[in-house]
Amino acid sequence: MLEMTGVSYHYQPGKPAVDNVSLCIRAGEFAAIAGRNGSGKTTLTRLVMSLIKPANGQIVLNGVNTSSQSPGDIARHVGYVFQNPDSQIFRDTVASEVAYGPEQLGFSAPEIASSVAEALEKTGLTALADVYPRSLSRGQKQRVTIASALAMKPDILILDEPTSGQDAKEKESLLRILTELNEQGKTIILVTHDMDILARYAKRVVVMASGAKVFDGPVAELFAQGNDIRKWGLRAPAIMNISRKLSKYGVFPVLTATELSQQIAERVQRGRM
Amino acid sequence: MKQLAPLTKLVFTVAVSIWAMLLTSLPGLGLLAVAQVVTLAVCGLLGRTYKGILSLTGFAVVLILVQYALGSELEAAIAGGLRMIDMATVFVILLATTKMQSLTTALVSQCRVPQEYAFMFTTALRFIPDFLAESKAVREAQACRGYTGKGGIVRRFTSYLALVGPLVLRAVSRSETMALSLELRGFGAGRRSFSTDVGLKFRDYCTLLGMIALTAGFTAGRIVYGW
Amino acid sequence: MKAISFENFSYAYPKSGVVLEKLCFEVEQGSFTAIVGPSGAGKTTFCLAAAGVVPHYFGGRTGGTVVVQGIQTMDSTMGELAKDVALVLEDYESQLVAMTVEDEVAFGLENAGVDRKLIPQMVRETLQLVGLSGREQCEVGGLSGGQKQRLALAGALVTKPDILILDEPASALDPAGTEELYSLLGKLNEQGMTILVVEHDIAQVLPYIDQLVLLMEGRIAVAGQPEAALRKMSEESLFQEVIPPLQELRFLLEKHGCRFGAWRCEADAVRELSAVLQEAGEVSRSA
Repeated sequence: MLEMTGVSYHYQPGKPAVDNVSLCIRAGEFAAIAGRNGSGKTTLTRLVMSLIKPANGQIVLNGVNTSSQSPGDIARHVGYVFQNPDSQIFRDTVASEVAYGPEQLGFSAPEIASSVAEALEKTGLTALADVYPRSLSRGQKQRVTIASALAMKPDILILDEPTSGQDAKEKESLLRILTELNEQGKTIILVTHDMDILARYAKRVVVMASGAKVFDGPVAELFAQGNDIRKWGLRAPAIMNISRKLSKYGVFPVLTATELSQQIAERVQRGRM
Repeated sequence: MKQLAPLTKLVFTVAVSIWAMLLTSLPGLGLLAVAQVVTLAVCGLLGRTYKGILSLTGFAVVLILVQYALGSELEAAIAGGLRMIDMATVFVILLATTKMQSLTTALVSQCRVPQEYAFMFTTALRFIPDFLAESKAVREAQACRGYTGKGGIVRRFTSYLALVGPLVLRAVSRSETMALSLELRGFGAGRRSFSTDVGLKFRDYCTLLGMIALTAGFTAGRIVYGW
Repeated sequence: MKAISFENFSYAYPKSGVVLEKLCFEVEQGSFTAIVGPSGAGKTTFCLAAAGVVPHYFGGRTGGTVVVQGIQTMDSTMGELAKDVALVLEDYESQLVAMTVEDEVAFGLENAGVDRKLIPQMVRETLQLVGLSGREQCEVGGLSGGQKQRLALAGALVTKPDILILDEPASALDPAGTEELYSLLGKLNEQGMTILVVEHDIAQVLPYIDQLVLLMEGRIAVAGQPEAALRKMSEESLFQEVIPPLQELRFLLEKHGCRFGAWRCEADAVRELSAVLQEAGEVSRSA
């Protein structure tokens, strides 16, 4: 469980990047953090990782205050997947790359072997274990970084824009992996401005604007906010927007084209009978 | 100083270096250093540069002590240190008063330095902030995987690979993109123009004349009077 | 004269397999083309070929020709082509070469030998166009990702090229930033600039484009007017993951016998669907 109470942080005095944010993420959640570029999303997650320390407030991770912990200490509990895989991949094979984290944390040799094997399997990389990771596609590299985080056996996984620069198929397979991990009990925190992903996968959304938390609740509730979400730099998915605008014809809000087409087809059919 | 053309300042840099070589007396060298610091102060740049000057002075003191310890005469050792300060401070003045872009322009259009070399210099500077940002990103990414950089020398060295590896690979791909970008935007395709005006004005000619006169004076002084 | 035409063009990088294979493809003057396709389909190489970077910069093996504004790229040089075509690379951060914003934008003008007196005005106008007015003296390193992207765009636009090519320009932008970018590109296109863009999210570009190209494994799988191209992708199950939800909805409803026009934005869809539901409601009430 991750608990932030009244957390603030600023890079320049007088300009808070994170402003008095309180947030509690329970074990097993699938949450998303959304907002404009520069709204404080990434600062918030960097605070969680102890890469920066809060100016005010406290962060408690699994019952322990993190103020005196290093990012390496946090890594046992929280795996952080950065946006750009090229900033961290440095070894010659996928398997040894994934082994780096557990080695640093002092796992024993058999522990390393088993956790690497498990992480590769869960991210669908077993067949690529001996490949030079830099030669992989962006989507595959992103999976290597997820495996690298998983191998340290964290209970929480934070991913910063993991789908950027990937094609539709790669995105789907990445989200499938995350959903499976979530079902196996991992807490997933996704930092994203991909509204489609947010709508389809996240159960809870936290919206940041100018460093403050401006929304925290279920996805459906977010899209019922109307014009506010545009103000926060977000856009509801097209089908959600359309189905809401058709509500006077008895259409209820849905997310996918298939669901909406069924609703409309039923009504048209009834009209024809 | 800021209003002089970059070429004048380049000549000034060379001139001060020549003066520092010509002058041998301690008061002369000391005066040159003081004059330069005063110039910085008059231009209102001392606040920005004093740290550099101080560390230069510190370095000069070490240099003097080392020379003295190695058997030089005290006076010669101090002269060597002062000369170093004189020649280094003039570069501080040059860089603090001249935009990189103007300097490149002057080098290419007036000193006939091939533009490829001149721009290598500016693009290298352009690299620095990016490189710092990238190294921070790499350090953070590896910190989240347990990298600490602590331990014995061997361990520290091997663990450093985790930072150097991604950084070097990224720098290589960055420089490749930048080289491509230069060509894409027509760099070196024909006669180029320069957006900054580096032409010499009346005050530049006056300054240049003054510097020639001083140089001649110092030379004469050295030959005739043996300063 | 076509803005760009690929005539049976094939290409392989030195030491690589064939990346583009026998492309035949044309871009009309003043048109707006979007290119989609899975990773590794050759989209970036396609952009590079249209700007003459391939094969001039990378070498490698080629077959066929690419003609840009009537000039065979093979017979020309990158510097020559730079007058007609500007390219914003996917890694636009590394594309920036100068220390300050104004120097960055002036760079292309200086290379083209534009008179010094004209440069400040052109720089100012271009920065205004991309929304970076007042930042002339800012250091490039201090800009945010979105600002760097707009700066790279300004650097490309300032020489007033006939053709602008952008490789995944929205990948680091948030939804609001992406909308702004494409509305700017739409405006430039209206003013007559030929635009070619690689984009994953077709819904973003659909209101503006008049040609959609699906590239798969180095070949053109589908190319044509967007409506027809999307229909073909749907019917033949070609990379249909990228079909925007709006079009997916329309194709699904057509299977139920509904007929609609080509929807370019949400408002189009709401209007037509409201009419259909209204009619259905009235019929069922009167029955």
